[in-house]
Amino acid sequence: MKVVKILERVLTTIPIMFGVAIIVFFFVRLTPGDPVDIMLGRSGAVTAEELDQLRHQFRLDKPLEVQLWYFLSDAVRGNLGYSYVRNKSVVDLIAERLPATIEMTLGALLVSLIIALPIGIFSAVRQNSLLDRSSMAGAFLGISMPSFWLGIILILIFAVRLHWLPAQSRLSYDVQLREVTGLYVLDSLLTRNMPALVDSLKHLVLPSITLGAGVAGIVARVLRSSMLEVLRSDYIKLARAKGATEWQVVMKHALRNALIPTVTVVGLQVGVLLGGNMIVESVFSWPGLGRLVVDAIFNRDFPLIQGSVMIYAITFVLVNLVVDIMYTYLNPRITL
Amino acid sequence: MSESQPLLELRNLETVFPTRRGVVQAVTGVSLTLHKGEILGIVGESGCGKSVTLLSILRLISWPGRIAGGQVLFQGRDLLKLSGREIRRIRGKDIAMVFQDPLSTLNPAFTVGEQIGESLRIHGILADGRAFWPWSGRRAAERERAVELMAEVGISSPMDRYREYPHEFSGGMQQRALIAIALACEPQVLLADEPTTSLDVTIQAQILDLMRRINQEHGTAIVLVTHNLDLAAEFCQRIIVMYAGRLVEMGGVDQVIESPQHPYTRGLLACIPRISARRSRIEPIPGNVPDLADVPPGCAFAPRCPLAQSACPASLVPLSEVEPGHWVRCLCRTGMAR
Amino acid sequence: MAVQATHPIKSGWYHTWTIRLRLWWRGLVELGYELWQRPIVLFGGIVVVAYLLAAVFAEQVTAHSPARGSLLLRFQPPAWEAGGEWAYPLGTDDQGRDLLTRIIFGARVSLAVGLLSVGISVVVGTALGAAAGYYRGWLDEILSRFSDLLLAFPFLIFAIGVMAFLGPGFANLILALAFKGWVEFFRLARGEMLAERTKEYVDAARVAGLGHVSIIASEILPNIIQSVFVLSTLRLGSMIIMEASLSFLGLGIQPPTPAWGSMVAVGRDYLLTAWWVSTFPGLAILLLVMAINVFGEGLRDILDPRLKIE
Repeated sequence: MKVVKILERVLTTIPIMFGVAIIVFFFVRLTPGDPVDIMLGRSGAVTAEELDQLRHQFRLDKPLEVQLWYFLSDAVRGNLGYSYVRNKSVVDLIAERLPATIEMTLGALLVSLIIALPIGIFSAVRQNSLLDRSSMAGAFLGISMPSFWLGIILILIFAVRLHWLPAQSRLSYDVQLREVTGLYVLDSLLTRNMPALVDSLKHLVLPSITLGAGVAGIVARVLRSSMLEVLRSDYIKLARAKGATEWQVVMKHALRNALIPTVTVVGLQVGVLLGGNMIVESVFSWPGLGRLVVDAIFNRDFPLIQGSVMIYAITFVLVNLVVDIMYTYLNPRITL
Repeated sequence: MSESQPLLELRNLETVFPTRRGVVQAVTGVSLTLHKGEILGIVGESGCGKSVTLLSILRLISWPGRIAGGQVLFQGRDLLKLSGREIRRIRGKDIAMVFQDPLSTLNPAFTVGEQIGESLRIHGILADGRAFWPWSGRRAAERERAVELMAEVGISSPMDRYREYPHEFSGGMQQRALIAIALACEPQVLLADEPTTSLDVTIQAQILDLMRRINQEHGTAIVLVTHNLDLAAEFCQRIIVMYAGRLVEMGGVDQVIESPQHPYTRGLLACIPRISARRSRIEPIPGNVPDLADVPPGCAFAPRCPLAQSACPASLVPLSEVEPGHWVRCLCRTGMAR
Repeated sequence: MAVQATHPIKSGWYHTWTIRLRLWWRGLVELGYELWQRPIVLFGGIVVVAYLLAAVFAEQVTAHSPARGSLLLRFQPPAWEAGGEWAYPLGTDDQGRDLLTRIIFGARVSLAVGLLSVGISVVVGTALGAAAGYYRGWLDEILSRFSDLLLAFPFLIFAIGVMAFLGPGFANLILALAFKGWVEFFRLARGEMLAERTKEYVDAARVAGLGHVSIIASEILPNIIQSVFVLSTLRLGSMIIMEASLSFLGLGIQPPTPAWGSMVAVGRDYLLTAWWVSTFPGLAILLLVMAINVFGEGLRDILDPRLKIE
């Protein structure tokens, strides 16, 4: 039964998540230097007694396994530590910035799918045509391009030279918006705030394109090659023999089968999106999780780094889980 | 025995495939007729062009192959001249096709029932006057009809099987499902491309029985392509023998099997292992099938023919009637070689 | 070259590899022919070689110093624009250093990091993968689980994490990249090994008395190498982009060592006035990575069908 298979898959995720937490735990232990110093973010001098007291507070005087146990149990309960650099709990800091990152990631995913799906399909149907060759060349370009550079070039062209689109942030400072979910586009729709909608969309365009370009390239190529393979198969011949129109043959019979391997690739790309986040957020000064991490690195805010890396990794694992489930669901051959 | 007008008629069909080595002449100058309710067999080795002939009838030849000449007349209309939309209306409805390997021919992503129902939906059967909304009524009607069809072709417990996927069916059932798809719109002609080749012998017999029953109950004409002369002998009313893209012998099953005229046909019959044969050896035909990119203008069989004369490969050998309804393309057998 | 029946089996190593060398030579010639048929791929390969040569002979090729510049010459535009000169073809940066020179020296860093990180990934990954696939058992279990775990991290995040804790620098960067990179080669080698070890020639070698390591090295490995090689050319491009991205964020190679990523980062503040400072280093990355990818993919196209025949 498919449900059993899905449950199995969910169960294998849990040890992985623990493993991730353990690895992150050891990250910090790798760092050269005094651990208390590290936890405090090397932000100040402390007296000797305070050092001991803090050492006890951080449980650094306990054996490693105990520390690990506390770390894990804290994490499961939602406590990822405290950032002394910013004077807030890590979880709070992350929660503040998460919607911005989610919005951009969704934007990038949307952009890349809107570009990649039609191109992948039409390139396969009209193989070796001008459209095919040029879009495959374009896909190649997208894959080979460093995202930070693409972002800068886009800013250069569209913001600096043409003044069509803004170069940073999520919203112009003179636009008001009441936040509901933290996703500005959604919020402006919910509060029926037209100027904010337009403004937030404008701010979302360039970052989404920058982040989505590489993914679009890969997805387009994979879709094209699986479509090509599918179009060669016998059941396509039968579909035509039944009298189906070319549209039905391509969109219904072929696409359904070609999407199955493509979906797994898209899932993997989410990992790329999560990583590329950091870069694109830095380029566009986007107040999201990625920039938080980068800032944290420069501020030597290790608790924050630790917590964020863990969140990223766990998100990735969960996304892969969802993709796997979708794949199991889509592919009729997997039943037992 | 022929009625006023043949149901399906091929005149000088020519299909080619341009390849890097040259233009492959897959089908050259093939002419045949099929009458209502008739069972016609096309026999020949692999690569002789019999499958391509069937595909050409429905214009299913994929690029870069193309139909280079001739006519395909169905009820008097030349199918090769029809528009895309018109030929699509004929495909699956008036002329249906069944393919060789059922597992790869059925779409793995859809249930079997859905695929049968699709034939009905494409051609608007059951749509008659039924309102668009609520289309649950039409869906239900399609499902009912599909289940009926599945029962008719001998698929057991069709109500349950409707929701299953192709890979859950056995080979024989898959083939039955393909036949059900083909029959959905009650076609007048059924083109069967080696429908039993990938099946076990016992299942083969069942499928042939099924097809025979369909022919008798629905009056569907059948064109059966096979490399198995025995099978054709048992099943068909008329037989066509093809070699290297050409039609070399054509006639009633008794005529061709009992008194084969073309040396190739004779060779084929000699190749068949028989349990009760008095002969102790199987006589293979010496030589190899010619490269279809490089066929001589005359008789293609000449290099392997025991009776070959110099005139044979030189120029096109015409078909001549050796007895009523029995045609052969051979200079020697028809006494035309001098 | 006749195979002597009296040849002691212990020299299996030498024996097989000399035969293989001859076959490889012939293979290379055929490869050259195939490349000739695909001019775009060949062009990609030439570009890569050009970059390599420029990186190695940077001192000879460039006219200026990559580290010292004259503040008087800050922000010179590229030669074809008003105010530019051909002495500084691509303009100068914020410290008056010639951009083209810095770009060429930057190639050194990028190629070194790329090649080393891919190299280490390949060696470690392939060795571990072959071992895991061959010996199976607890070794396989542990390594597979560990690699699965590493896969749970998106590449950049892992690299950033490692760099955050280890600190920036050339060696740390390579370590960070290789630490995640070996996983792919591990899986590839393991997969291929699992497929190959059941084949007959392995049994034949075992019967002939060859030890396990011998078998792996002389018999199985050569069959695996081609796919490993193809994958490594494809990964080189992403490693280079990764290095550039990390340098852009300030986590990779530190200034004043010229690195393309950090050069782009510097130019970011001056987009309005001196667009070339960011544009050209990034373009250099793009061209190199494209060339690598084109060549790598072309190579895969050529070698892949052969792999099947083999």
